[in-house]
Amino acid sequence: MEPLRLNKSVKAYIFLILVAFSTTTYGEIELLGELSIEIRNFQNEGLFGQKKGHSSYTFSPELYFESEGGKDFFSIKPKFREDAEDNERNLEDLQELQWTHVGENYETKIGIRKDFWGVTETAHRVDIINQTDAVESFDGEDKLGQPMINLSLERDWGVLDLYALIGSRERTYAGKNGRLRMPFIVDTHNPIYESSEEENKIDFAIRWNHYYGDLELAISHFSGNTREPLLIPAQDGNSIKLLPRYDIIDQTGLEALYIIEGWALKLETITRSGQGDRFTALTTGFEYTQTGIFETTLDLGWIIELNHDDREEHSPHAIGTRFSFNDIDDSQLLLGVLWNESTGETNVFIEGSKRIGARSKLSIEGFVFNGGKKVKGNNFDFNKANPLDFLQEEDFLRMELTIFL
Amino acid sequence: MKNISIKKLAFLAIIFLYSLLSLADDASKGLEIAILADKNTEGFIDSQSSMEMQLTNRKGNVVTREMKSKRLEVAGDGDKSLIVFESPRDVKGVAILSFSHKNSSDDQWLYLPALKRIKRIASKNKSGPFLGSEYTFEDLSSQEVEKFSYRFLRDEDLNGQPNHIIERIPLDPYSGYTKQIVWIDTQNYLIQKVEYYDRKSFHLKTGTFSGYKKYLDKIWQASRMEIINHQNKKKTVLIFKDIAFKTGLSDKDFSQNSLKRSR
Repeated sequence: MEPLRLNKSVKAYIFLILVAFSTTTYGEIELLGELSIEIRNFQNEGLFGQKKGHSSYTFSPELYFESEGGKDFFSIKPKFREDAEDNERNLEDLQELQWTHVGENYETKIGIRKDFWGVTETAHRVDIINQTDAVESFDGEDKLGQPMINLSLERDWGVLDLYALIGSRERTYAGKNGRLRMPFIVDTHNPIYESSEEENKIDFAIRWNHYYGDLELAISHFSGNTREPLLIPAQDGNSIKLLPRYDIIDQTGLEALYIIEGWALKLETITRSGQGDRFTALTTGFEYTQTGIFETTLDLGWIIELNHDDREEHSPHAIGTRFSFNDIDDSQLLLGVLWNESTGETNVFIEGSKRIGARSKLSIEGFVFNGGKKVKGNNFDFNKANPLDFLQEEDFLRMELTIFL
Repeated sequence: MKNISIKKLAFLAIIFLYSLLSLADDASKGLEIAILADKNTEGFIDSQSSMEMQLTNRKGNVVTREMKSKRLEVAGDGDKSLIVFESPRDVKGVAILSFSHKNSSDDQWLYLPALKRIKRIASKNKSGPFLGSEYTFEDLSSQEVEKFSYRFLRDEDLNGQPNHIIERIPLDPYSGYTKQIVWIDTQNYLIQKVEYYDRKSFHLKTGTFSGYKKYLDKIWQASRMEIINHQNKKKTVLIFKDIAFKTGLSDKDFSQNSLKRSR
């Protein structure tokens, strides 16, 4: 397993939080944990001979305590993952090591933590504080802990969050034996940084959010190392590898959500400079829920989201139906299609979950990739390829059992 | 003949007017009782409690859910409330913040701790089951007087106690019910029983309230609620523990930031 790489500023910073931990008298203390066992079954062998069956486990203990007066909150939550096939999918991460202090009209949150921005379901344009743990899942919703100092002001005019982000994290990519992977290996050990301070660069972000009756609004700006590196081809002996390049970017985001009757209308849009030409990208759509379908307790949720990205000629659109059975086991099923009208590519997915007893949960996830041209070995032309070409052999079903400790 | 029909007509008209008047009378009497019942919860300022939910299926198997609840009275408007789930473990930390309004639909936010995400949700979808129980969000949310129209039905004994029986009709078109029949005791004006009629006017559920205790010398709070679904024969019992009033909560405890901290 890779040792946890912490740079100097992060170490100093962890020390600071541990000092805060040790000088507080505690009220409530909680020790919790999650253990997950995951099995992924691919329909075919991979393009590079990767196995059909992949398995991994994830363990994430959590220690939480709050001060006697209820003004200070601490949490420590590491996450460990070990994959049987792919070393690059192994992980030791501090998801949380943080101290929240609640003052009059403000809060400070110091430490390693996660923060989510956004309103849409199928793509997250605005969300930028945390790096994506891209090998954890295909949906990009799993994140790595981000060291930060956050000041949050809550007033009549809304919530204003100011962030100093102490260093940045690098995106995870599958290794040689891993799946799903690119036709070329991404060399995560040799990233390229625009900043001379590399991953130690201190970045800044600001976000204001408020609601006016049924309208929710947020405006944000981020300035710093990109969370979405460009992949630069480089010679690797006889072969080619990809190097992630982290440019310094400026990204402004807008989020809007409007509730009308049973509908939630959503919009997320960004404009980003620093990686080639300035570009804009947006996701917009709605979520509508029908309750008590067919005279049962079943709820049907409809999600339609349209995408635009200046960097792509045509972006895929998403349509999904969520079945919430509202039973004792909280059974859920989501069926969806990502569809690209210009390339004809479709990506059909299914997600389901069900509680088992009081302390465990079973999740399934399946993806089918259609309409791309099959790629043979390294005969791959990046310029001509469609996004799903290299995923043609990657149809899979994933099962995960999570036990809550 | 003509005279008789005019007499008849006059008689019918009087009957009609009388019934109109008595309808109006029933309506105002119904409202009066509802207002008296509501007085029992007025001025609570804020409250906190732990809740245990026992879900019983038709075979009699029981599963338990635990949650914590905070409420804040808002002058001139509906209450603010925060419900945080404790168990089952997979939903621990999930929280629902709602601002109930007297004359408009409620504002509601859901907090998902795994994603650290706050999601605004359409409160129109309140007629669905709450956490797999026989209660809906509508049943558990703040029952403001202004949210119904009323009619007095009759007086009747319930468990040997005299009760007023009123009918209340939800004014919200998104309510899951066409009407509710409510038993309110004549001594303290406490809700004892509610019959819930679904959108097809079918008597779907019956709820009972017990273990009333008086707090702050004026606030009455039931410590046990039970609801039986007559269609699927399932039952949910809700037990309130560690009930406390005037605990010093403020708007700050019902903010977006506090929702992110809730656990």
